[in-house]
Amino acid sequence: MSVVNEPSGASTPSTDGMLIDIRDVRKIYIMGTNEVHALDGVDLQVRKGEYLAIMGPSGSGKSTLMNMIGCLDTPTSGSYKLRGTEIREREDDELARIRNQEIGFIFQTFNLLPRADALHNVELPLIYAGKPAKERRARAKEMLDLVGLGDRTHHRPNELSGGQRQRVAIARALVNNPSIVLADEPTGNLDTKTGQEIMALLDEINRKGNTVILVTHEEEVAALAHRVVRLRDGLIETDQRRAPSAGPRA
Amino acid sequence: MNPPGSPPRDFWIAQGENLRIAVDALRANKLRSILTVIGNVVAVMSVIAVVAIIDGLNTYVSDKILQQGLGVLTIDKYGFITSEEEYREAEKRRDLGLDDMQALASRMQLAEQVVAQASRRRIVRAGSTELQGVDITGTTDGYEQVSKLEVEQGRHLDASDVERRRPVCVIGSEVAEKLFPRTDPLGANLRAGGHELRVVGVFAQRGNVLGTSQDNIVYVPLGQFYKMFGSRADLTILVRGREGMDPARVQDEARVVLRAQRHVPLGKPDDFGMTTAETFQSFWKQITGGIFAGTIALVAISLVVGGIVIMNIMLVAVTERTREIGIRKALGARRSDLTMQFLSEAVVLSLFGGFVGVLAGIAIAFLIRAATPLPAAIQPWSIGLSLAVACSVGLFFGVYPATRAARLDPIVALRQE
Repeated sequence: MSVVNEPSGASTPSTDGMLIDIRDVRKIYIMGTNEVHALDGVDLQVRKGEYLAIMGPSGSGKSTLMNMIGCLDTPTSGSYKLRGTEIREREDDELARIRNQEIGFIFQTFNLLPRADALHNVELPLIYAGKPAKERRARAKEMLDLVGLGDRTHHRPNELSGGQRQRVAIARALVNNPSIVLADEPTGNLDTKTGQEIMALLDEINRKGNTVILVTHEEEVAALAHRVVRLRDGLIETDQRRAPSAGPRA
Repeated sequence: MNPPGSPPRDFWIAQGENLRIAVDALRANKLRSILTVIGNVVAVMSVIAVVAIIDGLNTYVSDKILQQGLGVLTIDKYGFITSEEEYREAEKRRDLGLDDMQALASRMQLAEQVVAQASRRRIVRAGSTELQGVDITGTTDGYEQVSKLEVEQGRHLDASDVERRRPVCVIGSEVAEKLFPRTDPLGANLRAGGHELRVVGVFAQRGNVLGTSQDNIVYVPLGQFYKMFGSRADLTILVRGREGMDPARVQDEARVVLRAQRHVPLGKPDDFGMTTAETFQSFWKQITGGIFAGTIALVAISLVVGGIVIMNIMLVAVTERTREIGIRKALGARRSDLTMQFLSEAVVLSLFGGFVGVLAGIAIAFLIRAATPLPAAIQPWSIGLSLAVACSVGLFFGVYPATRAARLDPIVALRQE
């Protein structure tokens, strides 16, 4: 699939301006003879520039929802529109392209490639976007500067501290200018102080206009978000807005 | 997976990344990589070495054993013998004599030169020096036109030497060196077969064939040879066709003349044998073809085994790097990207084996060249072919592991520890 001349997510523009529009989404896994309803009719709308936390105990369906939003998984039924594009029933490769263009992942375990240096790790999404080497390097360097690791470009992950690794991962998540930054327990493997620094960085990213979706089970972490969605048994239990503004800020 | 039309630009961009990953992986698992590609190494090494050896043998045979040259027909009692039974049959035939040679010389239209020769292996002496196992050849004149022999000093035997059965000889360079190390051989005398012979010429050096010197020779007029060893010697007749004449026609004419001369009845087989350099060459090609076929079989087995080992190790690599695959998928790698990544790795691995094999093959060829008289020469096409085959093995056996990698569910892959 060629993505060169095709602007990302350019099918139908969203009529109501929603970045994420999830309606009555269900995800059913078959495990042996049992049907597991990981998501059991979820409705969720997210605007551009929001800072959202998804919370819930294990087994509540929050991982499934995150995978769904991240286009790693597709709903069994219902509708998920990302920037107006229906994600359900997409081919594998189309989902890969959407992930590449629209989603920046940040994982609890960082998920950097151990044999690649920081710069190369940040370059990865641009490689799969088909960007030429020169542009890739310049852009990746820029992102590493942004997260404060401009002097660590040629360090490998095992030569970096946990906090530095997560910063590399954040640089990687941002490098292709995605619509959504999707962070799954980003502080789960970090000490409190480093965790706070990472959360400050995410906050700063959100202030610059990026949509940030955080998956966490820590109240303190979730407290930094402007909106908290709580899941239980595959359903949204509560959806609270905390901050005064959810729109994009300059 | 790509729509038809212009190839996508990002294909090559991802390919650069794939090669980098492949080489990295190879370097990260050096010992494993080397063990994995032993099959390829053996296969490619065998191809390079065997091709070089066969080519060396071919060159050797054409250069040395076929010294009498192309276009010369050799007629003797035996012909080209390939079994003991044939030899026993041929032994019963009547010897070829001078009358046969004269018949050919006078009746053949297509012959430029007809020469009769007989030879014995005997001791040759000069003063108190003695040389064993010298090839003494009695010949008619014109021999220099059928055998590649040149005189370095003095002259060839000529028609009058032959006619008058003069006790003269032309000697090989080795005979000259050993019998007359400090004196001028020209005009000197030597003794062979109980006769005194005067040296009138020295042949230019011809070198060794399969370890046997080609310069340990003495040529005398045929009549003189008869005086020394009796006139019942079985002759070998050498016929050179006219310039540009089809060798098959020359051979046909010689056969007709000789059958008439020797009264061979119609429908009976020839009671003499005819060989040409071409006969020998085609027999030779048959032998080397057999060696080659054997090598191909060995190579095919090594490649299949090698390919399966590569496939196995690639499956291990896919399992080991499941998480990496998950990460790449999450970041936007498509199935084709991952297929190409693992295919590239299999091909790079396989080619690495190929390169090691090429080096080993070249080393073997050089060793043979240095240690034996064989001019084993590396054939560029054999290198190209083996590398192409190594590449195909990587491609073929890499498909399954690569497909497995490409089909992994990113969620499952990311969960992998």
